[in-house]
Amino acid sequence: MSFDWGTFAEYGPRMLRAAGVTVQVSVLSLGLACLFAPPLATARLIGPRPLRWLVQAFVEVVRGVPPLVVIAFVYFALPRVGLVLSGFWTGVAALTVVGTVYAVEILRAAIESLGRGQLEAALALGFPRWRAYLELLLPQALRRILPPLTNELANVIKASALLSVISVHEITQVGNALIFETFVVVEILVQMTLLYLVIVGSVTVLSRRLERSLAA
Amino acid sequence: MDPVFMAQVMVRLLPPLGLTMLISVTALAIATPLGLALGAFRAEARPGHWAARLIDAWVFFVRGTPILVQIFAIYFLLPKAGLDVPLFWMGVIALVFNSAGYQIEIGRAAVQSVHKGQWEAATALGFDRPATLRQFILPQAARRMMGPVMNELSQLIKASSVLSIITLFELHKAAEAIISANLRFSEVLVVEGFLYFVFIYGISLIAGLMERQMASSGGLASSR
Repeated sequence: MSFDWGTFAEYGPRMLRAAGVTVQVSVLSLGLACLFAPPLATARLIGPRPLRWLVQAFVEVVRGVPPLVVIAFVYFALPRVGLVLSGFWTGVAALTVVGTVYAVEILRAAIESLGRGQLEAALALGFPRWRAYLELLLPQALRRILPPLTNELANVIKASALLSVISVHEITQVGNALIFETFVVVEILVQMTLLYLVIVGSVTVLSRRLERSLAA
Repeated sequence: MDPVFMAQVMVRLLPPLGLTMLISVTALAIATPLGLALGAFRAEARPGHWAARLIDAWVFFVRGTPILVQIFAIYFLLPKAGLDVPLFWMGVIALVFNSAGYQIEIGRAAVQSVHKGQWEAATALGFDRPATLRQFILPQAARRMMGPVMNELSQLIKASSVLSIITLFELHKAAEAIISANLRFSEVLVVEGFLYFVFIYGISLIAGLMERQMASSGGLASSR
């Protein structure tokens, strides 16, 4: 049995379309996560105590269960509260939840890495705490989180493969369906792998570039 | 939420939880020595060595693809290669393959973090490089790997849930089965999530403690 390159032409277009879905789902999810993360991180750091605990509990719970459980929960819970979304948007919602908690952690770590000195200096100059936070710490932290956030995009892309269980037509779901349809195993697995390596690889390269240009 | 039903679910989920723990710990017990050995080799090998390239390719593949694709690859390719592997061991192989890809980097960082003076002192005492590595560097590197390796265990527990897709009856698969039999999702998912959370969060607390302890003696930062 030999490797059949013809399958690349035959199934390539379907796989490429699936790759498009993978990228869309991942970018949309992380984009939404970036919208939710700053207010949540703010609440986590300078909010009133119960709110702080609530955000932290949310972060710890989502980080402490497998992403598949989060996906299952979102998949079952959304229709229960009257939100009937397509598979694609259910997937976006689930990955947004996962992405948000990691983004909150990244942002919190960045703010804490700025050191107490800056905060103390601002307080000594008479800034109220929330202004020191919003005008001094947050803008600096937002610059620092760019490289780890691109790294998180790579993680979200890899997690998006799990959306195949709720039949989002991304790379893994389409590849798996093709394998059962055609019994062409090796060639399709190679195509899936190559697509992920290209997508994740380019995101990783981007992350390293950003890291270097920000360090300079 | 029905507490009686939840208690029943909890009882039924305990054996699958045992399987989840067993498969994760088995995979860790294989992947950690493998990661340390290959990581040490990688740290020592001259650049361009064919085995070093192979290790790099392994790490690149594992990091660049979803674990689900790696699981599918093993699930489809092993039988195609004529190997009749039981499902449990297929799961172990998949987790080891994935985890070692990360632990090679942990092992390499651990070996490289051992101070150069140790090498020099051993050389001065007449030990050659392999003996130095075996007797002085690896034991210290192994100690420094402990924190990140504990973290890796919680990653493995999370990753093992993906084995539900190849119908391995671990915690997530069992929970799915109960959901489809009873058509009640919230109680089941809450109990399942609770079981995962207790173990994963507990382990990451221990990992954090170990890392802090190691940091005071010049250890490694968390890898993921």
